[in-house]
Amino acid sequence: MAKRHLIIGGGTAGINAIRTIREEDGGASEVVLVSAERPYSRMVLPYYLGRSIAESHVFTATPGKLSRWEVKPHLGRRASALDSGSSTLTLDDGAKIEYDDCLIATGSSAVRPSIAGADGPGVHCFWTLEEARGVIREIKAGSHAVMVGAGFIAFTILNSVLSLGARLTIVEIAPRVLPRMIDAPGAEIVEAWLRRHGVEVLTSVHLTKIERAGERRRLHFMDGNEIAADLVIMATGIKANLGWLDGSGLTVNRGVVVDDHLRSSVPNVYAAGDVAEGRNLVTGMPEVHAIEPTAMEHGRIVGANMAGRDLAYRGSLLMNVVGVCELEMASFGAWDDPTAESFVSIRPERAAYRKLLFTGERLTGGMIIGRSEELWATNDVGMLKGLVQSGVSLGRFKEQLRKNPFDLNTAFVASGTVGSLLPRTILGRGSRAPGRAGASV
Amino acid sequence: MNVLKILPEKCTGCLRCELACSYVQTGRFEPARSVIRVSPYESLTSYAPYTCPQCAEGWCMTACPVGAIAISPVGAKVVLDDQCVGCKLCTIACPYGTIFYNSDTGKAFKCDLCGGAPACAEACPTAAIVYEEAETADWLGGFAAERAAQLQAVGGG
Repeated sequence: MAKRHLIIGGGTAGINAIRTIREEDGGASEVVLVSAERPYSRMVLPYYLGRSIAESHVFTATPGKLSRWEVKPHLGRRASALDSGSSTLTLDDGAKIEYDDCLIATGSSAVRPSIAGADGPGVHCFWTLEEARGVIREIKAGSHAVMVGAGFIAFTILNSVLSLGARLTIVEIAPRVLPRMIDAPGAEIVEAWLRRHGVEVLTSVHLTKIERAGERRRLHFMDGNEIAADLVIMATGIKANLGWLDGSGLTVNRGVVVDDHLRSSVPNVYAAGDVAEGRNLVTGMPEVHAIEPTAMEHGRIVGANMAGRDLAYRGSLLMNVVGVCELEMASFGAWDDPTAESFVSIRPERAAYRKLLFTGERLTGGMIIGRSEELWATNDVGMLKGLVQSGVSLGRFKEQLRKNPFDLNTAFVASGTVGSLLPRTILGRGSRAPGRAGASV
Repeated sequence: MNVLKILPEKCTGCLRCELACSYVQTGRFEPARSVIRVSPYESLTSYAPYTCPQCAEGWCMTACPVGAIAISPVGAKVVLDDQCVGCKLCTIACPYGTIFYNSDTGKAFKCDLCGGAPACAEACPTAAIVYEEAETADWLGGFAAERAAQLQAVGGG
């Protein structure tokens, strides 16, 4: 009998797992997909909001593609209970699916603060496609949008909100913006940049309730301040969708704890993406990295292992990139490690900032902020990633970078980074182009 | 497969490859938009061009959330402009630093081997860039390390 693979979740991790299974086995196994939503890419929702792409552009695995991959989909259904002892999944309609191995890739959900009015009309999250549609329906040119939260998710949609002609105010409970992506001096540059571009930024403010005021909302703050808004967007964090795993028998910490093969504590159950707590490439510590590249790499490793390979994963590299009003910012690895030796070059008047973090002779983290037009400021993001990812010993080039953190090229090239990177692949073989998985496609 | 093989000892730093590349890729002589880049080594006394090694992993291609990077018939990872949304994920996923974001077009751009007739190799007067059958490799590492060591030996680095 053909092996029965069950993929729970149709996001980046799930779809990459399916594609990889088919690359490996060409259709020899049974693949069942349970996904509450039609598979789409969360990463591109901001471009849909900004009207630079049509809604059809967001879908990743269309019905046609799923059928070519010979996937049996259960779309619109949620997983409600996993019995890992009998290898059976129960769906929200009571149906049961038996599997030989399964992947938990149920992703994460937006979290709203527990204050009055946080889930009222006119108050939106922006995480799922359905939530994106809600914002798109309500946002109008000239309207006043208030973004609650100034993290990465908020920043991914700032350009789109502004391009639609809305006036924007950002309110953040922390003392600065992007607390989990850039450091305090970087945040200062970004805040000044936003203000110069007409965005109001309020930090260290504590929202206490949201009231309806006719067609508008009124936001109340602990210091007595009030702000009127036409639309409120909640970007106050996400949490892994793990609740349904209660009683499953899997070891769950901040995510489903996985080994270097992305297997949970139950060997025929894998986890990937936002729900998985796997190895951090730089620190070696178990961590949840709710970012697109981790979901993709996890998914591919799981797909290959489900198809019979024996593939270990080296770990995921934390990385983020976002731009707002032609200011680009990116960070990699352990960019906030207080024990690292850091080399800094900062020119606030040019909105230019670079920080390199060393552990011994290895670069273990980095940050780049610069204007889009200053190619020298932003073109190095890839080399920075390569140095952190490869972990090459920089030897004498470390001193060169101490003198000039902008001169990454010589250190990158002369330390043989390219040579150390070229043999490394995630799957132990070359990658195939998307849409060309397996013999049946 | 043919690859762009770089012979750094032959590079004179004339930058013709950058001019040719930018012209073919963008229609303008604009070295800043070239996807082959010449860098100086040994305190400006030697130079070498660097571009996408068309790596087996294809970090840019696997990172793309909408499948906007494909493999062309000549083996190049190529950006499909009508699919690219400009999210920049490829620019941080590529550990070689050889895919870039163009804020004028809102798209990523990279070396596509000019469809099999690379303009850089044609433009190079000293055959420091040749397009021939080979395994992709680290063409510059040894050269750059040696030049850096020489510089250090004479007290310049």
